[in-house]
Formats: sequence, structure tokens, C-alpha cells
Amino acid sequence: MSNSANRVGVIGAGMTRFVRRAKEAPGELAAKAVEMALDDAGLTINDIDAVCHGTAPDAFDGVHMKGEHLIAGSGGVNKPYSRHFVGGGTGVFSPIHGWMHVASGKFKNCLIVAEEKMSPCVPHPAGAFLTIFDHTTEQPLNLTLLHIFAIEMCRFMHKYGYTEEELARVSVICKKNALGHPAAQIAKETNVEEVMNSPLLSWPVKRLDISPTSDGAVAIVLANEEITRKHCKAPAYIDGVGFRLDTAYWCTRDLAYPEYVANAAGDAYRMADLSNPEKEIDFWEPYDPFDYKALHHMNGLLQDPTGKRVKELLLSGAFEKDGSHPLCPSGGALGVGNPIAATGLMKIAELYFQLTGQAGARQLQKTVQRGIAQAWGDLMQVGTVVIMNADKGTVSTSNKWKEMKKEDLPGTALKSAKDVPFIDYQPDIRYSWDNGMALTTYLEGFKAGKIRGSRCPSCKRMMIPARAFCEECNLKEVNDYFDLPDTGIIKTFTLSNVDWDSSMLGDGKVNIFAVIEIDGTQENMGLVHRLMEVDPKDVKVGMRVKAVWKPEKERTGSITDLDYFRPLLKSDATDVKPVRVKPVELDSVTAKSFPGKIPLDYRYTAGVAGVKFYEDLAQGKLTGTECSCCNTVHIPPTAFCEKCMVSLDSDGKAKELDPDKGKIVGFTVVTEDRSGEPLAKPEVMVQVGFEGATGTIFGKLETEDPSKVKTGMGVALQASRECGPNHLIFK
Amino acid sequence: MDVAVLGIGFCGSFPKSEGLSYRELIRRAAVMAYNDAGIEASQLEGAVSCEEDFVSGYSISDEYVPDQLGVQKKSVYTICGDLLHGLSSSVMQLKTGQFKLIAVSSYSKASNILTKNEVLNFAYDPVWNRFDVTPNYLAGIEMQQFVEKSKYSADDVAQVVSDSKAKGLSNSQAPYGANLSASDVLNARSVASPVTEPMIARPSDGAVVFVLGTEETAIKKARKPVFISGTGWSSGNSIIERRDHATSPGTANAAKMAFAEAGISNPNKDLDGIYVSDLYAHRCLMHLDAMEIEGGLNGKINPDGGSLSNGDLIEANGGARLYDAIAQLRDEAGSHQLSSPKRVAVQGWRGLPTDSCSVVVVDRERRIQS
Repeated sequence: MSNSANRVGVIGAGMTRFVRRAKEAPGELAAKAVEMALDDAGLTINDIDAVCHGTAPDAFDGVHMKGEHLIAGSGGVNKPYSRHFVGGGTGVFSPIHGWMHVASGKFKNCLIVAEEKMSPCVPHPAGAFLTIFDHTTEQPLNLTLLHIFAIEMCRFMHKYGYTEEELARVSVICKKNALGHPAAQIAKETNVEEVMNSPLLSWPVKRLDISPTSDGAVAIVLANEEITRKHCKAPAYIDGVGFRLDTAYWCTRDLAYPEYVANAAGDAYRMADLSNPEKEIDFWEPYDPFDYKALHHMNGLLQDPTGKRVKELLLSGAFEKDGSHPLCPSGGALGVGNPIAATGLMKIAELYFQLTGQAGARQLQKTVQRGIAQAWGDLMQVGTVVIMNADKGTVSTSNKWKEMKKEDLPGTALKSAKDVPFIDYQPDIRYSWDNGMALTTYLEGFKAGKIRGSRCPSCKRMMIPARAFCEECNLKEVNDYFDLPDTGIIKTFTLSNVDWDSSMLGDGKVNIFAVIEIDGTQENMGLVHRLMEVDPKDVKVGMRVKAVWKPEKERTGSITDLDYFRPLLKSDATDVKPVRVKPVELDSVTAKSFPGKIPLDYRYTAGVAGVKFYEDLAQGKLTGTECSCCNTVHIPPTAFCEKCMVSLDSDGKAKELDPDKGKIVGFTVVTEDRSGEPLAKPEVMVQVGFEGATGTIFGKLETEDPSKVKTGMGVALQASRECGPNHLIFK
Repeated sequence: MDVAVLGIGFCGSFPKSEGLSYRELIRRAAVMAYNDAGIEASQLEGAVSCEEDFVSGYSISDEYVPDQLGVQKKSVYTICGDLLHGLSSSVMQLKTGQFKLIAVSSYSKASNILTKNEVLNFAYDPVWNRFDVTPNYLAGIEMQQFVEKSKYSADDVAQVVSDSKAKGLSNSQAPYGANLSASDVLNARSVASPVTEPMIARPSDGAVVFVLGTEETAIKKARKPVFISGTGWSSGNSIIERRDHATSPGTANAAKMAFAEAGISNPNKDLDGIYVSDLYAHRCLMHLDAMEIEGGLNGKINPDGGSLSNGDLIEANGGARLYDAIAQLRDEAGSHQLSSPKRVAVQGWRGLPTDSCSVVVVDRERRIQS
């Protein structure tokens, strides 16, 4: 890689406060950040050529295709708009995707938006993480992200010799740095002792090792060099980008070192023409959803698998704000909060603030010319890296962000979703996954009480789960299947007090999950499973274990046919060799599928404008929101105008309309319910306009004779004390 | 700099594909594309996948992209859009000058989703638009307004289904080709009036993979490169209460951008083949209107039978049409081959409840000089 022909600069940023539960709807959060970013850039939405949006799983906001749902709030209406996604790495990938828009020469500028509303997912957003695991080979174990983090943290500590106290220092640094950040959710002065004494969740992870779940949005504006130079005398440019994604088979690599981050950083360094990044980069914003992760990522950013340098830097105090290698001067996810994708973009905004001298209380004392931000995500497999550079060093050209206070930022924290009108929803989303050749053979092995692998004829790796091709050998066809020993060695583990949905197990119960390297394979080829018949305090990395199988008649062809692993006994056979077996011959009987479902419920706040609408509707009133820029009254009301991308005052400037003077502009008679099952009787759905308003309201029409419904027919919106679309009834 | 398609692979369409896991399905399309491009997976610098979480059944679906494409540890990301959206991002990625060779993929395992309507319903705004009736209600409202405001009638929409399914009978990859008259279509079971069941594309399984590269790479490696001369994408309002349901501004804006970039001033004359999304039959005509294509569904439009014959491949729909377009430009489309087309446009739509659309123009010969 080398420097791009078209240089790209950051010319504006905006963000909401990060809060545990926002009153604002997802689009409203995005719109607030966009409005601030446009204002900071001195542009209007009409000046924007393209919009791209980064947001993490749909399972948080509770909307399928949520990038589509966020178009209006992101300023993307009638513009080139697309959503990109690399799990938790999305936030730092967002400016990379935007950079592609501008560096390619296709667009002069691009608005980048990252939004996350995690709070609708109930009882806890952590439940959404069950479905990040392989639906056939891992989800039946009821794993969650906390487990995999703890498993990785254990491996990290084992390999690099960190104590929990040493790792806790990162949490202390970040939370302290965040005291100067106006968006911060959990900034505080704390100490190692407090982190160590916080509740143990899944050893070695304690409550204060972790960032919180958050709602929030961030936006930035990117522009080509010509626009950037006009905008700012001392601009900040994106000079290097890198992004890498490793295999989804996360039990087949050593989790201690993030090679994907190191490779992504290498790409960015080459593009930015850095030969000694440690010296050439002045401050570091690695992703820090857990305290150890910041160090784990720093090993990758310094491309140092030995980990010695990062440990030296931590223990010498170099990561403090006034140290030689300031770490997360923003306060990071641990201090500012962690609305996943928005957090990564917050880190990019921090590069912009620091490099343009706008970081206020967080401004580093030394002159900074170059900063780096990084995000991570997925199944411990993605690294995204951006290097930004201030050509002339830090020259402050604006006081806007320098003087920003918490109360200046938008975002309304709620204690409970029940504090405002809300809608409960239970999606019924179910699957039956085709296993295909390899997984059918693998799962039939479990049914027979065997761990079954397949061997690549090219690289000779013995692979579990069995695969039909080798991902490392140009997709080479794999036909050799083997029954393997059901013994192995623990590579890493966690002693967990929490269940998949983040609820505490209680009664002192501990679930032990371990990554087990299976005998007969090679180093780092393993699977994750439960460990039992052992005192938790006796579990060690390197412990030899053996599978315990369910009785044959209880086996169904699932990973859970292997009930658990236990410590290997002296009496256990250890000289078992792999035995070649015939794979399953697929036909209409043997080709199996595996059941899956999304086990999540949602509670949506109606949003700032929606709250006002439904409160008014309860009194028989219909209100819209008025945009003084384009002189339109919007229904349904929105807290922003998607044409002008300015905030609207839903309460103070609500415009009352006559609910009895609706006219049908569109209608349909439907015969199926939401699942596609026949309705007892057809329903009439109508789209209704009201005089004096732009927009319409969708709802059901109560009528005895659907055949008489016509466009232009007058209808009245009925008062309702209930909130939600199914209570929008016309007569 | 020009960008070219070096290789294409398509495994589909199937009403069911129970003998192949999603990984095996995608891998098969990938190997086809890499063989076609004359490369091995290890030569790729990265990939772009096009998919959505609840369709893939994962909360972070991009995790499961790299292995079956053979690009683990490479520069890989996901675009939550139709394959044509992802392809447009890939073209920009290559034009930054930082990359030379990348894959673009999408797939559908629609047969594995047991509650498809529930997934679609979950795409609607929970505060305003998510009702306890079929999420196809919006298709009913769209078609009702389209036939009321446009020059087309419900009979014309039904004729689209009849013609498309007849075209599918000439396409060996189309599982839903059929002889069906317009009156059969109009008299079929109503789902959301005036939309009847045959007006909705049926679900299909399949995977599609393309290898994209810079012109220099294409000329060195590819057997029959096809050049991408224009890309455009745009989204109509996500607030569906404020969208004109008789039109597709997403398509109109996307076409305008792609046509301008490709130097197309009169799409009716300049294009030898046109593919448009017909996930709902009325949308076929609506998209043609938005692209200013005259004459309705004639012979050069959706020669493969479109989604009505090939099935709904979710985010791979635009990719399936592009696959056929490239086969046409290479004179490799078999019994539904157009007469030596030189330039073809492909339009994609993400389906309800969106108006997010994309248009890609592909050429047999290289047209833009760098």
C-alpha cells in the first residue's frame, strides 16, 4: 500500500451523550449527531454527496435491516446511502468506508454516521450475543460474549503473565480520562482496589473490567483535500487505513495475540508510510471494551507477539494521559461508554479533536501530530485501524468542541423504558439450518459418541468441526473423515457466574467453559465445551481432559451429545489414534438440518416525537412537528426534519391537526396475519393524509364493507390510550 | 482507472438446497468464480459480502464470511445491501488505488428461514408500521397507488408475471418458470389487494460470487473480462409515510448516477439488455419507469425470467441478474442469449419495506479511458 492519490480529511464531528437507556428512537439519536457534525463542518445536508452508516447487530435496536430504518435519521434520504458492518469493528471501519467514497474520487465528501441503541433488547442486550456463535456447533452450549472475552482474557494472562491487578490499571486510566469527555457515561476517579472488588462475573472478568451497554450516536464529515483545506488551516487527514478479518473458527487459533489487528495496522502503517510507528504515533485509541483488550490490541498495534513492550509501557505509567504513550485519552469504551459502532467513531472523533486542538480538558499537553484508532469485533477476529495526521501539528482553529459540556450534548437518559410510552414486541424468528455434507458427518459422529474431524489433503491439518473444504488451502476439497480421540488439553477457560442472557446463575453455581485442543489434531485445533467433575479452583491451562458422553439413547446428533469434559484419569486410555471413517452419504433422509431461533424480546421507547404523539392521541388529539426551515408539518411527527436535518421541537412546536379530517391516499385488503397465516376475516390497511401536513399515518380501517373503500374517502383517527401501530385505528 | 469483473460463479437457484450447508453453497460459487477468473483464493486481497443478520441467522453475520471465500486474514467487510450495493463499494475500494483484486459475494438460504414473514415484519418501524397483519401490506398499498397513478393497469402487472415466467422456461437455472396467463395471475389468491400470490417472487436458495479487479489485473488474468462503466445507488425515504409509493426515487437517482458515469444519455437506445428487480411484479414496471425505459417488459428486459422465475435470493438478487448480464455479454447465456449485447444495465432493489436501489452498467469492451 502507498498513499492514496486523493487525500481525505475530517472536517466536522457530532455526537450524543452515551447513556444506558435513551428516550430517543434510533433515528433521533443519529439525527442529533448528524446535525452537530454538519454544523461543525459548516455544511447543510444539501452539501453532502453521500452517506454511509455503521451500526452493529440488528439484534440490539431490534429492527431487521436497521441500516434501512436509520436512513432518514442519518440524512440519507434520496442520497447514495449504504450500511457497512464488521461487528464491533464497525465504528473504526466507518471512516474507512467513507474514505473509499472520497479517496476513489467518486464523491467530494461523505457523511459518516454510527448509531447504536442497545437498550430495546430485554432483559439484557448481552442476550443478543448468544446468536453470534455458530448456530449448529456452539449455540447449543448457551454461550455469550462475556464467556468468550473471559476465555480470551485467561489466555492473554497465561501467555503474557499479567495479574488481574495489572490489567485493572487500564480501567482506572480510562475512567479517569473520561472525566473530561462531555459524552461520558461512567467516568470516575477509581483505583485498582475498587476494580478488583467489583462483582466477579466470569473469572477473570469483574464488573469494572467491562465497559457498559449504551445508547448513542456519533457522526463525522469527510471531505477531499481541496474542501478540507478550505475548511481548516490546520486540518486532520486520514493517512492510513487497514482492516482484516480472521477465520470464524475461533477455537483454531491462539487467542492471546490478535494477528488480525497486527496485519490491519501493518496495512495502515504502509499506507501512511510509517517505519517506526511507536515513535511516530503520538497517542493511541485502541478499542477497550474490557481493560485487557486495550493491551491485547496494543500488542497488535505494536506488532509485538512477545507482548514485552506493552507490559513495560503499562507498568512504567507511559499509558497515563501525561505519559509518553497516552492510551485512550478520550476515556474509551471503559469510561465514555460503549454503544458499539458509535464508540469506534467516537475514537475517530477523538483523533480529530486532539489533532485540531479541540479536546478541551482532555487535550494532551504535548504537541501531537499523529494518532491511531482501532476497533475490534466479531468472534475475536476483526481488526480495523485508522491513522490520522495533522500536517502542521496541533493548531487550534475552533473552540466549539474545546468548550463542549455534557449539558450541551443531546441525548435523554431514562431510568426505565416504562417511564414513557413504550411498545413490547416478541419476534418469532426460527430457522432450520442445512448441515450439508461435513456437518452432517460431524454431528453423526457425536451421535455415535465420537469427535469427528476431516483432514485437508494439502496442508494435512486435521480439522474440527469437520469441513468439506480447507479454508487455508484455496478452498481445497476435503474428503477424508476421521474419528478422533475424545481427549484433549485445556488451552484456556472461564469460571462463569452468569448465564447467556447476563443473568446471574445464583446459589454459588459456576459454569466452566474451556477451549480444548483435541488429541490427534495439531496445535490450536480445538472446540469450546463445558467442563465438570472438577473443583473450579483446580482448573488450569494445560490440564488433560476427556469427554463424557450422554447415554446413547439420549443422543440426537448435537454438540451436546458430548455432555461435558472432565479431568483425565490415570485409568483412561491415552493411546487412541484417529480412525478413518466413511462420510455420510447424503439423501433425503440423511441430509439433516439443525434448529435455530432468535431468543430475544424487545421493549421500544416511542422516541421523543412518538412519546408526544401517543400522549396526545390518548386525549384524542393529532399532532405533528413543524420544520421552520422548509415550512412543513411532519406526520408522523419526528424530532428532526429529514429534508433539512435540523432538530424539531416535538413538544414546544407541536402542530395540532384535525384527527377527523383524514383522507385515504392508499389502501389494501390483507388476508394474512404477520406470520403469513390466514386471517379470520380480511383487514383493511390504509394510508391516510391530513390537510396541512406532509406525510401520512398508516393504520387499520374499521369497516363492514372493504369493497367500498376508495382513495379520497374521509376517515377519522381514533383516540387510543395504548401505544404502538396496532392502536392506530381509523373509522 | 477502470474496474472489471474477472470471474463469475453462481450456485443456484434452488427452492431448497438441503445437501449443502451455507458454507458449502458459497464455497461452490467461489470456486467457480475463481476458476473463471483464472486465480486462486490466495491471490485475493479481500472480499465484500452482502447480507443481513436475521437472514443469515447470526447476530454478527459478517463473522461467517471469510472461510468459504478463502479470504480469512484478508481485508473483508460486509455491506448490508443487495450485491449491487456491495459491488459499488468494491469498485470504490479498487479505485482508491490501494487494492487490485477482491471478491464480492452474497447468498440466500431462504429455505432455512422457517418464519420469513416474521423476519420481514421485523424490518418495519416498531413505533409506527409494524402491524399484526402480513408485512406484504405495503406491497398492496404500493401496487394500488402505482396502478392508480401510472400508465399501467393491474392487467399490465399480471402480464409481467406471465411473460417473466415464460422467459424462465428458457433458463435452465430458473426453478419457477411456468406457463401462466395474466388472467390466471389476476384470479389467484389475494395476499394484499391488488397483489395476488403469483405476483410475489417465491423464495430461493443460491450463492453468487464475483471477482473484481483493476483493468490492469483483468487484462493480465481474465479469460473474458467485463468492464464496469457505471455504478449508482440511492435510498428513498425510510419514513414510509412520507414516500410516494407509486414511484421509486431510489431507482431514479441510482440510474441517473450510473448512467451519467457510463455516458448513457438515452437508456432505451444505449442499452442492449436491462435487468430490473421484480420481487413484486408491479415493482418491475415501477423500476423501468424510474429508469426511463419505455415499452414495458420487452425481450431485452430480464431475459433470464427475473426473480419471478428464478426466485427471491434476498441480497443475492441483483447478483443473480448481474451474473446473467455478464453471461450475456460473453455470449454464454445459452437458450436465452440476447443477440450480441454490448452494454447492459442491472438494477437491484432490497425489497420491502425499502426503496433502496442500485444500478450497475457493464460493458463487453472497455469504454472509459484512464
